[in-house]
Amino acid sequence: MSDISLAQSVDIALELLGQDGGVAVAESNASANLRWANSSLTTNGDMHERTLSIAAFVPTSDGVGAGLASGQIRTREDIAVLVKRARAAGVAGGASEDARELFSGPVDPDFYNEPVAVDLAQLEHVANGLGETFKNDSAQFFGYAEQSADTSYVGTSAGTRIRFVQHTSRFELCAKSHERDRSSWTGQSGTTFSDVDVHAHTVAVLEGLEFQKNRIDIEPGLHKVTLSSSALADLMIYLMWTASAREAAEGRSVFSATAGGTRVGERLSARDFTVSADPNAHGLETLNRVISVGSSTFASTFDTGIEIAPVDVIRNGVLNALGSSRHTAEMAKLPFTPLADNIVVTDAHGHGSLQETAARMQDGLLITCLWYIREVDPQSLLLTGLTRDGVYVVRDGEIIGAANNFRFNESPVGMLNRIVDAGEAINCLPREWADWFPRARVAPVVIDGFNLSTRSDAI
Amino acid sequence: MTHIHHNLPIELAQSALSVAADSGADVAQFRIAQHDSRGISLRDGIVENIGSDSSIALSVRVVVNGAWGFAASTDLSESSARDAALRALAMARLSAKVSSDPVVLAQEPAHGTQSWVLPIGEDAFAKSDDEVIALLQSWNTRVSRASIVNHIDAHTAMGRDTTFFADLNGNAITQRRDRISAQLTASHVGDNGFEDMRTCAPPAGRGFEYLTGTGWDWEAELSALPDYLEQKVKAPSVEAGTWDLVIDPTNLWLTIHESIGHATELDRALGYEANYAGTSFATIDKLGTFKYGSPVMNVTGDRVAEHGLSTVGFDDEGVAAQQWHLIKDGILTGYQTDRSIAAKVGLERSNGCAFADSATHVPIQRMPNVSLQPADDDTTTQDLISRVNRGIYIVGDKSWSIDMQRYNFQFTGQRFFEIKDGQIVGQLKDVVYQSKTPDFWGSMEAVGGTSTYLLGGALNCGKGQPGQVAPVSHGAPSALFRGINILNGRQEASA
Repeated sequence: MSDISLAQSVDIALELLGQDGGVAVAESNASANLRWANSSLTTNGDMHERTLSIAAFVPTSDGVGAGLASGQIRTREDIAVLVKRARAAGVAGGASEDARELFSGPVDPDFYNEPVAVDLAQLEHVANGLGETFKNDSAQFFGYAEQSADTSYVGTSAGTRIRFVQHTSRFELCAKSHERDRSSWTGQSGTTFSDVDVHAHTVAVLEGLEFQKNRIDIEPGLHKVTLSSSALADLMIYLMWTASAREAAEGRSVFSATAGGTRVGERLSARDFTVSADPNAHGLETLNRVISVGSSTFASTFDTGIEIAPVDVIRNGVLNALGSSRHTAEMAKLPFTPLADNIVVTDAHGHGSLQETAARMQDGLLITCLWYIREVDPQSLLLTGLTRDGVYVVRDGEIIGAANNFRFNESPVGMLNRIVDAGEAINCLPREWADWFPRARVAPVVIDGFNLSTRSDAI
Repeated sequence: MTHIHHNLPIELAQSALSVAADSGADVAQFRIAQHDSRGISLRDGIVENIGSDSSIALSVRVVVNGAWGFAASTDLSESSARDAALRALAMARLSAKVSSDPVVLAQEPAHGTQSWVLPIGEDAFAKSDDEVIALLQSWNTRVSRASIVNHIDAHTAMGRDTTFFADLNGNAITQRRDRISAQLTASHVGDNGFEDMRTCAPPAGRGFEYLTGTGWDWEAELSALPDYLEQKVKAPSVEAGTWDLVIDPTNLWLTIHESIGHATELDRALGYEANYAGTSFATIDKLGTFKYGSPVMNVTGDRVAEHGLSTVGFDDEGVAAQQWHLIKDGILTGYQTDRSIAAKVGLERSNGCAFADSATHVPIQRMPNVSLQPADDDTTTQDLISRVNRGIYIVGDKSWSIDMQRYNFQFTGQRFFEIKDGQIVGQLKDVVYQSKTPDFWGSMEAVGGTSTYLLGGALNCGKGQPGQVAPVSHGAPSALFRGINILNGRQEASA
């Protein structure tokens, strides 16, 4: 083991940074995973990682510079090397335009507690469930389960000492027919595997395969669709990643106003549709303080330790806020708006489950998953991607079969005004972005004129 | 910082491998990997981020009772190495309870003690921050002189992998490879919105010499960039429909990556990525008979290309680097394999495509350099353009997306030059090309000669769960395609 604890490494780094100051973040990442394919476990892992990241502040002729360095450390000398590298980078980089006085944040009483570990017994719970699933030879099963425990130690030269523990779990199950002509998927995110019911997921994916036995060819075009919570989450996460105050103020975003400035205050949807980031959202809790070793349009290392409040980026259909650091907020002439690491998407009139919402649609397509989402045109935020693992045909409020897959070309901003119905928000696993953004509570929605641009023959 | 010292890897390997062997592991592999990176980004000439990272970890992978087990740690002590071996054994035993597909590895001769280093010119890590910043700022200053340019984003990144591999077969292999990349994007904000234009230099397995003129003509591209941007701002929006395309290697490398590179991964074709990245239309039953493209289509996989991002001496299973055909005369003839995947289909030997992006991740079948071979003659890009009556010459990559069996894809680019009667007449904008993989490659009428060949590539190829990121290169000549579906990006947004 290392000669010094992660909490101690933060203290030592700040001591070595001296009066010029800076930010130090030590992280322990413990994770364990299982992967399976063709109804058999394949790869797995039990990983322990520890990293120290430093932002060194250095005085320059016209302000304060910030240099970054990160790596693994075992000794005080290792930390000194990191500090030296970060300071040298700070000197070379010159004055940082986002330099501000550091905020004096909280001092957590448990700061010197040890990092948390992953309970491998939880993985065994999943493995045992899969053992039963694999006995079902009506289909083949594929998937992934990961449990991680991240412990962050954050210190600044303004006295902030934060210890934060984030548990994250993720379970995915895909079933395919032996002929590979049908495919269904389900996913669940959370903090523990203890509430993952492998049998229930198995029943769900097999039900999807049953629906797909009746294949109905549907031509590309503008269709009325119900997007599942997972599918909408993937689109709204991209919207959030684009909701930068600076980019909008500079005229380089879908949220830029034609006549200059931003579109904050503009109605984007006729419905009472709200997109939020809330660090205290039940089941999606995440750190309510800024941690940033480095700077971007959304965050500044100089803001580390400042509290993150719940933010409605879109509130009742109106663009309400754009993400920023203190610096970029000033540039954009908008309130300082740090964003938490989760997303909540609700509709004030949304009610019912995904199935009930799709039934109310009467006629249209129920899209369960989106995949390979990429930006085509930043000006309209046109995104492209694919439907995957279940596009169901709804007629007279009933699922009557499954359609082929499609490539979509659609803007998550432009489509807001075509939402005509919504269900109740549920916690979900965003299929595309779960590696980076696993915490989401999102409502399913019905959208008119969704652009299913071309046909995909993929299963 | 903790670094790989001369005897440390061998001592740790002996500790870990002896624990694995004593516990009955049939296979045991030990790795240490150190990854150094440096990055500097400028926004409108001001340094936004400057920093470096050096990460190092060890891992142990075993096969017990026919199942893999893997464990890793960033703690480089002897006790940690032994603990990793024990944890890997435990994971293998857990996995073996519900595995019905026993791991068998294709044979590979032992290579013993080996050392391999990717040749480079100047060590980018030895360059001072001041020197690198000054270079980026000189680029920024030059481009910012043009009135059409309102904003400039510029960055450079450098990477170095230093790895050690040892196994129960007596291999002890040390390797080092470097890579470097840089991009500059100029943006215009006007009354009708915004447009941008980016340099097309691909990342490369080179040193700092790459940023100063060896391997890429920065002078020429930076000088031309504002004009390219101005033409794009003033360009008419493309008419959606069917067009002939001449695609430059700065764009075509990405189409190769998505529609050939990933499609010929044998683990995908056999279903091992089905839950995440997907499968492949190029299934094993098609090997040797499937018409992937036109007869001028010849594609190789390799881990030996000069300056290649996937170039290496040995993979993470101790398999020596090779080169082979994936597609010959338009017919699917090969796949990318690791040792266990190769054995599943009866291949005698892996072609050396097992690797991980760090020691904390398990090696999986990853992509070698996958390249479209040029014509034997000296056909130039202008020769190809001259054969087109109504078409578009596409340069530089931008947006990309492809479905989970690698059929339906859609790409954009940086610059779209309209071709009329064999001549370039100006730029178009909002161009999106969309096709189905076998249709697209079947429509390839001609490829350019070696003078048009360029090694493109990316640093961010993603695959696997947990997700792994790998650099990879793709060589391509310019190529002529007939009758490709063109969408208009603006119209798609307002459909």
